[in-house]
Amino acid sequence: MNRVSACLSSLVVLSCLGAPALAADITVVGWGGTWDKAYKEGVWDPYTKATGNKIIQEEWGGELAKIRAQVQSGSITYDVVSVEAPAMEIGCAEGLFVPLTPDVTGPAASYLEGTLHECGVASDTWATVLVYSKDAIPGDGPRSWADYFDTAKFPGKRGMLAGAQYTLENALMGDGVAPADVYKVLRTPEGVDRAFRKLDSIKSDVVWWTSTTQAVQNLSSGEVVMTDQYNARINNEIEQEKKNYAIVWDAGFFYGTDLWAVVKGSPNEQAGVELLKWFSEPQNQAGFSRLYAYGTGRIEAAEHIPAEQLAKLPTSPEHLKNSAAYDGAFWTENKEALEARFKAWLEQ
Amino acid sequence: MSQPLPPQTGASDRRPLRLSLGWLVLPALVFILAVFIWPVGKFLALAIDNSDFPSAIPRTASVLDLTGPDGIGTEAAFAALVEDLAEAQKTRKDALLAQSLNQRLVGTRILVLKTSKDAAAGRFSQPYRESVLALHPGWSRPEIWQAIKDNKSSWTDYHILASLDLKRQADGTIGKAPAEEAIFLGVLVRTLVISTVVTLLCAVLAVPLAQAIVSSPPALSRVLFALVLFPLWSSLLVRTIIWIIVLQKTGPVNAAIVFLGITDEPLTLIYTRLSLYLAMVQVLLPLMVLSVVSVMRRVSPTYMKAALSLGAPWLTAWRTVQLPLIMPGILSGAAIVFVFALGYYITPALVGGPRDQMISSMIAFYTNKTLNWGLAAALSLQLLVVLVVIAALFWTIQALARRKAAT
Repeated sequence: MNRVSACLSSLVVLSCLGAPALAADITVVGWGGTWDKAYKEGVWDPYTKATGNKIIQEEWGGELAKIRAQVQSGSITYDVVSVEAPAMEIGCAEGLFVPLTPDVTGPAASYLEGTLHECGVASDTWATVLVYSKDAIPGDGPRSWADYFDTAKFPGKRGMLAGAQYTLENALMGDGVAPADVYKVLRTPEGVDRAFRKLDSIKSDVVWWTSTTQAVQNLSSGEVVMTDQYNARINNEIEQEKKNYAIVWDAGFFYGTDLWAVVKGSPNEQAGVELLKWFSEPQNQAGFSRLYAYGTGRIEAAEHIPAEQLAKLPTSPEHLKNSAAYDGAFWTENKEALEARFKAWLEQ
Repeated sequence: MSQPLPPQTGASDRRPLRLSLGWLVLPALVFILAVFIWPVGKFLALAIDNSDFPSAIPRTASVLDLTGPDGIGTEAAFAALVEDLAEAQKTRKDALLAQSLNQRLVGTRILVLKTSKDAAAGRFSQPYRESVLALHPGWSRPEIWQAIKDNKSSWTDYHILASLDLKRQADGTIGKAPAEEAIFLGVLVRTLVISTVVTLLCAVLAVPLAQAIVSSPPALSRVLFALVLFPLWSSLLVRTIIWIIVLQKTGPVNAAIVFLGITDEPLTLIYTRLSLYLAMVQVLLPLMVLSVVSVMRRVSPTYMKAALSLGAPWLTAWRTVQLPLIMPGILSGAAIVFVFALGYYITPALVGGPRDQMISSMIAFYTNKTLNWGLAAALSLQLLVVLVVIAALFWTIQALARRKAAT
């Protein structure tokens, strides 16, 4: 531990990593805050105990450009990184990450759809859920995305992400498309038009959010009566801040994954792969979900999570029935064009 | 100036000094070249860089009869493509090709990656055209072959045109981009409008404030100064989030408005242009005040007193005597505020609405999220050009103002 802090405090991380180490010190880059804390207590501390390898936690904002720059310049400081699924598609294709074999990840059949990639395994499986304030809507609340788009039935402003991803999926669910069929519709030009038409119907009643903090603040202040939001953030508001919110799991939702990847050419590449092999064991990755309301990738991980906590996860068998996975392949190809169209639509 | 000085004496005395001055500047010059001009230039060059295409598929690009009468690649083209992609897969150039092609033609990224993987694995055989089309029918789109034809060169005006809401049409002429792609000029104009309004607001607020700081006794002056500088010392996020809390429906401002009976319903104040102006002026005002104060301190109060004692009304005296004297301070402050405002994007994202986003947020989006560095560079270049034009205007005005102040 002393060596680690000495390295960090003297800002010569590079030379420290270059020096021969008895046990590998692996730099793991996560999303910061309580997410990192849950990983440290639930996964990394047990890992260090089991193997003697130390974990140095760092956080980032998901800018793939950073990793590209590190790899291009040859000074790689990240070993294992949690990246968003579309970035995983691009980064893996560009050769920034190490491809993982089944003897590292375990059998593909034991993973939820979208949680295993050629170059990564799910670090967290999150969901964007429909949530409403029971203070603003006492009695019977919204039960579907159709209700979310029905301002006559439930008056009040809606919170919505100011971006195409999430929003187009929610619009189609609001138009009666089942989660499993959403991408079939979105893959046709008429389907995209249909989603935008649905959004047209509610445009003047939307308060757009660009950061989670905004979305939660808007719900708390009554600026909006319902919103789409990440389930763990809402869970946190309910448990820590004692807010009177309800997550409508039955309305249907999409889940997405961030995935652990080993940066190709990092000084600890091999140790990083070993780390992911250890992490891929269901009982080891369950340590994260026991402390945080996000799932991971292995289906069997559910067996190592208490029922009470399982009920808060998108990956509980009960919730999964109403869900579908965000289609990384679709968004990798269409993100730029659809985000541009969405921006143009917002400006009208 | 009309009588020239004897040239020999002065010049020979100064020469050694001038030489050493050059050496003094050298380290800074090297530093700026190495850490600023060179990397920035390299990034901006990406705006016209198109080497992803010819370097990933050199053989295909040099096939003469690339397409047949149906607009689809010929057997020779497909054979070259298979050879190129097999090699590109090993050097991972296929990913960059896939990305660039997908920017031109949505829905081709995965097609390229899958085809190159199969090519590297040797899954195709003669005749290549039938063999490739059987596994990947996507290659039967004539648009793909048109895109390959259009991108044989190592440089392109595609991103520059896109940043100006223009696009090359099928016949090669430049025309307007379709409405759902034409978003950048509007955002650029908005960025200029927001920056101009913020600069004007800062100027209007800073001049009386600077006057108060300069005219008040030293102790009070110091307190006022500290208050002005306070926003500069607080964290950007804290400062911004506070505006959300103050301006939201249940916030203190709305509570006061409803309590005073100005309106019955709370107003929508946050996520509007108004809240954006407030948050930006709060941060940038200190820069303007500092600039105006430094000039105002050097202006003797006796000029104003003289004007007043000669019978001019206060406002006339201020407008004709004081204002021209402090104008250089206002202008240099305005230049700083304007340039800072142009680059804003976190504040608009947090306190502005969707119609208040600025050009920098677009640059960040293409740099970080989609890795379309070509378009990001083109947009940066656009911003830089606008900045240079405006800076030239500013310098002209400033020089004129100075000359006027001197006469």
